[in-house]
Amino acid sequence: MATTELKPAPPAAAGTPGAKAERAPKHRGTAHGPTFNLRFLPLWDKVALAALAVAAAVLSLWNLDGAPSYQDDEGTYTSQAFAVHSGTLAPYTYWYDHPPLGWIQIASLNWLPNLLGLGDGTSIGATRYVISVYFVASALLLYMVARRLGMRIPFAALTTVLFILSPLSLVLGRQIYLDNIGVPWLLLAFYLALSSRDALWHHVGAGICFAIAVLSKETLSIFGPALLLALMYRPKWSNRLFSVVGFLTAGGLLLAFYPLSALLRNELLSGPGHVSLQDALAYQLLNRSGSGTIFEAGSSRAELLAGWLYFDKYLIAAGLVAAVVCLLRPRSRILFVAIASFATPIVLGQGYLPAMYIIGVIPFLALACGSAVDIAWSGAEGLARRAPGLTRPLQAAFVAVLSASLLLMSVPQWFEQDRTLLTAQTNSNWRSAMTWVQDNVSRSDVVLAPYSMWHDLNSSGWNNAWTMIATEKPDLDKQYDIERPGGWREIRWIIVGPSVTANIDSLGLSRVKTALQNSEEVQTFGEWSVHRVINPPST
Amino acid sequence: MSATFLASALVVIIALALFAIAVSTLYLNTYAWWDPKTQVRTSYSGLQGTEGHSFSLIMPCRNEREEVMRATLAALLAQTHSRKEIIISVGHDDTETVEVAHRLAREFPEFVRVSVDVSERKNKPRQLNQALSMCRYSVVGVFDAESIAAEELLAHIDSVFTTKNADVVQGAVQLINYKDTWYSLRNCLEYFTWFRSRLHAHSRQGFIPLGGNTVFIKRELLTAVGGWDGSCLAEDCDLGVRLSTLRRKIVVAYSPQLVTREETPDSLSGLIRQRTRWSLGFMQVFAKGDWKALPSRRMRTIAWWTLMQQHFMALAGVCIPIAIAAAIWGNFPLVVTLITFLPLVPTLVTVAFDVCMLHEFGRDHKFAISWYDYFRLVAGTPLYQMVLAFAALRALFKFGRRDFAWEKTDHSGSHLSYLVPSTAAPARQ
Repeated sequence: MATTELKPAPPAAAGTPGAKAERAPKHRGTAHGPTFNLRFLPLWDKVALAALAVAAAVLSLWNLDGAPSYQDDEGTYTSQAFAVHSGTLAPYTYWYDHPPLGWIQIASLNWLPNLLGLGDGTSIGATRYVISVYFVASALLLYMVARRLGMRIPFAALTTVLFILSPLSLVLGRQIYLDNIGVPWLLLAFYLALSSRDALWHHVGAGICFAIAVLSKETLSIFGPALLLALMYRPKWSNRLFSVVGFLTAGGLLLAFYPLSALLRNELLSGPGHVSLQDALAYQLLNRSGSGTIFEAGSSRAELLAGWLYFDKYLIAAGLVAAVVCLLRPRSRILFVAIASFATPIVLGQGYLPAMYIIGVIPFLALACGSAVDIAWSGAEGLARRAPGLTRPLQAAFVAVLSASLLLMSVPQWFEQDRTLLTAQTNSNWRSAMTWVQDNVSRSDVVLAPYSMWHDLNSSGWNNAWTMIATEKPDLDKQYDIERPGGWREIRWIIVGPSVTANIDSLGLSRVKTALQNSEEVQTFGEWSVHRVINPPST
Repeated sequence: MSATFLASALVVIIALALFAIAVSTLYLNTYAWWDPKTQVRTSYSGLQGTEGHSFSLIMPCRNEREEVMRATLAALLAQTHSRKEIIISVGHDDTETVEVAHRLAREFPEFVRVSVDVSERKNKPRQLNQALSMCRYSVVGVFDAESIAAEELLAHIDSVFTTKNADVVQGAVQLINYKDTWYSLRNCLEYFTWFRSRLHAHSRQGFIPLGGNTVFIKRELLTAVGGWDGSCLAEDCDLGVRLSTLRRKIVVAYSPQLVTREETPDSLSGLIRQRTRWSLGFMQVFAKGDWKALPSRRMRTIAWWTLMQQHFMALAGVCIPIAIAAAIWGNFPLVVTLITFLPLVPTLVTVAFDVCMLHEFGRDHKFAISWYDYFRLVAGTPLYQMVLAFAALRALFKFGRRDFAWEKTDHSGSHLSYLVPSTAAPARQ
């Protein structure tokens, strides 16, 4: 008789599995105490989150417009965000350089700091305030992910402190880069995927957040395998098939909107007379001048790595070592996978490597460090259990070693660099050059300006992308030939900043080069100068 | 400019409405899987040691074949629960079925009686009300003539009444002849999601359109509310609505071993007739307006949304492709066109989950689902949506003409051939 087999757990027995779960948590065997859940937050988690939020906000807002100096890429995304306000994706031809969701998000927020007059009255400065919102969000989500990975409160807080204080993270995290937009979405995806409730909507949500992250900055897709592992790597649960299918289809369908939008504009595949997603991908992945291998001294890949190490060799080195330590704890293994998959193209690749690529991995380096410390603490506890008399000394020694190494890490390099970030005024020459142009150049003259000041200049009276022109557009946007049939001779002024000559060489800007050769320097402000093109001989 | 803008705005509004409908469908279909805890909560509460209730089971029949009726009756007689009676409910004009019913009653005189409805216009609720007047036991249950109840169903239902202090218990019905036609697979899965998931979501929201089969109601309560509405085509849904407004405790329970097995309509036109009847019934219930008596605005909104669901679902299936086509060739701004694609995301996610559910359906009922079945499921989706949409439109047309004639679904008994593997299968826990 099947009666007993059929009998689902009666109410009396229902308490038993619950009681068992309390003793031995079914999920994430490493979790200490109950699993982290925002709805039932212990006091110390609240305190930590509040303190970290304040610290992250202060460090990211303080002297935000003074340092670091404005970069051309920041100007590009600022101008593209403003273009979204007027219904297009870019002031020039949008050529699928990146999926547009990053600057669409900026556009949804940057009207506010502009309205409030933040950023010393410049639009690029105001837009940086949007990024600081994302920085604070990343810091808090990092803490939440750390807690869901089973770290103890102090070590989860340590993870976030590393993220906030590391000069590498802070320098890049204050700038308008798409990676900064994508990272909180990526962390949210991990937070949801690591949920202990095995609830389907968390996993569908993880897929959606990951798609948003990738549509904000495509290089973040490198973390896909680690995320899938975070979702799968736990005891089998009843809805696993649903979870995986939901994660993949929801994420995949959202991602499909990018090629779909290209298809609808008839720009999916390469063809004569129009830009296309295919061309852009071929350029970014294949044709763009590569960065060489990492093992070749003087290659741009090696230089890039050196640059990252310059800002924070400690976090990078400690994070890499910690990633290996993370292999000791099942839940932390995803951190190893994340860091390893991130490093693969750096070590093995030769293609183009963008400088901001590192932004995506910084949270994982911090998480690896926090996790490794947590693992070490567990090890020390294990030792102490065997020799109860040693508990106090062991704990004291652990704290001492940890504090000493943190001090050694932070004092010489971090303190100096962070102080510079919080006090230096690196944009004064940029500002003087821009003001001079605004005061002395006729609004009908054709001017070439680096992207870092392009939007602020254009909106101060030119209001025409083909009179106030971003430096690379005469050579790279075919529209120039239609708008300015006179070629380089129509250019009257060239504003030269620190990146202009390098760009002329690396991007092959021959028109700009010729115009610059036929010009005289009118004004200089440190590394910035304004050139007037002289009596262009007509042919 | 303004004409284009207005057209764009219209397209966006339609697309967002379709998106809301598709998300709501996705939510209801997958509710049971949102959380492993939900699955525990929605299952039966376990057997009690003693029997607390007795059952009067009504078996409404009209133009049924004897073997079908016999199989249904046999499953009811085989119930492990000891205190039960069965009332075969027939109409006086259907002489053949009346004869069969009497013959069956003579064979099992202890348990079976016959109720003959003599009212002029025949329909299921009138037959049910006639039978209700003959019921003697504390709980009234309804079993359609072509349904096969699980042996221990009554025992478990009894326990649910006791442990959850329920006024109404809705058990699950499962169509099982998924291999017969292209639409039967979709139809089977539809029942699976309805009883496995959607009803539980409705129960959670406090507003349940009851099903007409394997539903159990305390007899006193049923008599007190005047039985079924004799003029309503969806008498089951109507009863659910009225009991919901009275805030009676309705419990929905599911266990794959305890589902009542049934078959799909035997032809496509049969399916369309059945769906038209349901849609028309929902419209009637909606028009009757009992749901307006629900206590809060939130519940009334849920009720409105639930009663309109059938139409929403059907219309969404047809409207999404039309909206997309219109947006592509209508030369709208890119954003507008992209928004028209938005409803496709939850719709395709729903289809992906359907595949998972078919997997679970096969596992629960020990059917070997083949790759071809999965393919049929996905490929049949648009067609099936069109059938539903057609039935909904047909119902709307009939509603406009006040044509409420009862279109009965014919049954060939093909579900009986599926029963061997499922009843022989060992019960799982």
